[in-house]
Amino acid sequence: MSKKIPRHDFEPKIMAFVCKWCTYSGADLAGTSRMDYSPNVRMVRLPCSGRIDPQFLIKTFEQGVDGVIVSGCHPGDCHYNEGNYYARRRNLAFRQLLDFQGIDLGRLEFSWISAAEAIKWTKVIDAFTDRVRALGPHKQYHELIDPYDHYLEAA
Amino acid sequence: MIEAIRTQARNLLENKEVDVIIGYAEGSDSTRTTPVFIRKPEEVSRLIFDPRCINSLPLYLNKRHEYPQKGWKRTGIIAKGCDIRAITQLIAENQLTREEVYIIGVPCDGVVSHFSKWDGRLHDGNQATKCAECDVHTPTDCDFFPGERPEVDRSAPYKVSAPQVLNLMGLNTDKRFDYWRQEFDRCFKCYACREVCPHCSCNICITDRTQPNWVDQAAHTKGVFAWHITRAMHLVGRCTGCGECTRACPMDIQVDLFNQRLKDVVQESFGYKSGYSQDEKPPLITYKTDDSEDFIQ
Repeated sequence: MSKKIPRHDFEPKIMAFVCKWCTYSGADLAGTSRMDYSPNVRMVRLPCSGRIDPQFLIKTFEQGVDGVIVSGCHPGDCHYNEGNYYARRRNLAFRQLLDFQGIDLGRLEFSWISAAEAIKWTKVIDAFTDRVRALGPHKQYHELIDPYDHYLEAA
Repeated sequence: MIEAIRTQARNLLENKEVDVIIGYAEGSDSTRTTPVFIRKPEEVSRLIFDPRCINSLPLYLNKRHEYPQKGWKRTGIIAKGCDIRAITQLIAENQLTREEVYIIGVPCDGVVSHFSKWDGRLHDGNQATKCAECDVHTPTDCDFFPGERPEVDRSAPYKVSAPQVLNLMGLNTDKRFDYWRQEFDRCFKCYACREVCPHCSCNICITDRTQPNWVDQAAHTKGVFAWHITRAMHLVGRCTGCGECTRACPMDIQVDLFNQRLKDVVQESFGYKSGYSQDEKPPLITYKTDDSEDFIQ
């Protein structure tokens, strides 16, 4: 029996940068357990949440993504012992920087999800998708003038 | 005061204790000063110091300028209190060792915000914003100081929020974005803010790399946003607030507001004050297991 899928006017595009030891395995578990979660999320697997350079997040926002999730192992569980502690400090500063620059912090999410927490993963994704959907498209960056646009239009 | 500094500089050069003295000299017109590299004892009379000496000279101590490769073993530098904080931060980041530099500290009552504002004297209208809350008018750590150096208590947390930062934080997010869009619309990516920064240490800057192209080279607003966020992010907990980036900006964009804001964040969250300790690690290369994580799900 098929589940009823709700229709929305706007489907947000969401990027998730995840650590391969915890969150990616957690998402994998959610998949193999056939759990439902919103299909808006695109995942990028990285070795550790400490590997997630703020540059990645800047670039994703620049390229027109509506929301970004950063996720890794719980503190103390890092495969490399301390990567997620560095990530925590870095993201604290980065959030404040984006806030000061004028990007709504509702569009940036940081979470700890272990390999066993498939249910938490689905909940975080669903809640975040709803939140970004309520915020609407991330127009601010879209509206910045792209000097290459008219080349594309001409072609 | 300047006579004592010149005498000391002459002695140092004659005794070969230092290979060069970096200081300030008269510039191209009466409102300007210029950084000067003195290598001969007879040239020390060019050295001056007054409120027009606004350049941050520790810039030349950064490894990216490769001055030690010229065979200079020890560099003498004339430094205001804020410059000494920059030097301390460079030492904390292993850009140089304390033995490589001979610091000639100068008492400073504040400097002008820009050469063009100089009208013969320093007053509230032309003083740089960093000087209002400065606690290093008397330098912290120096090898030579003209006259007696009084002890000053600097343990209190420093006040960093410039009035403009507080104004911006009072706006809502969309208004802030509009403000920055208007400001960054003028930026044409001359990278003067990078070139004057004493703490921009990368040998090849991320914006000069085209493979992969993290920050767009074109001077459209998208790339400008990426550049300024990247620059601020690279300076978290390292910026000592010399304000050179804003002074050097040809389009009068207040690019140091990002740094001011992050200094607040770093002090509140990690209890770190940049430029006061040669041994303490900058906040982003260390961690505590009980760091704040109220933003994390």
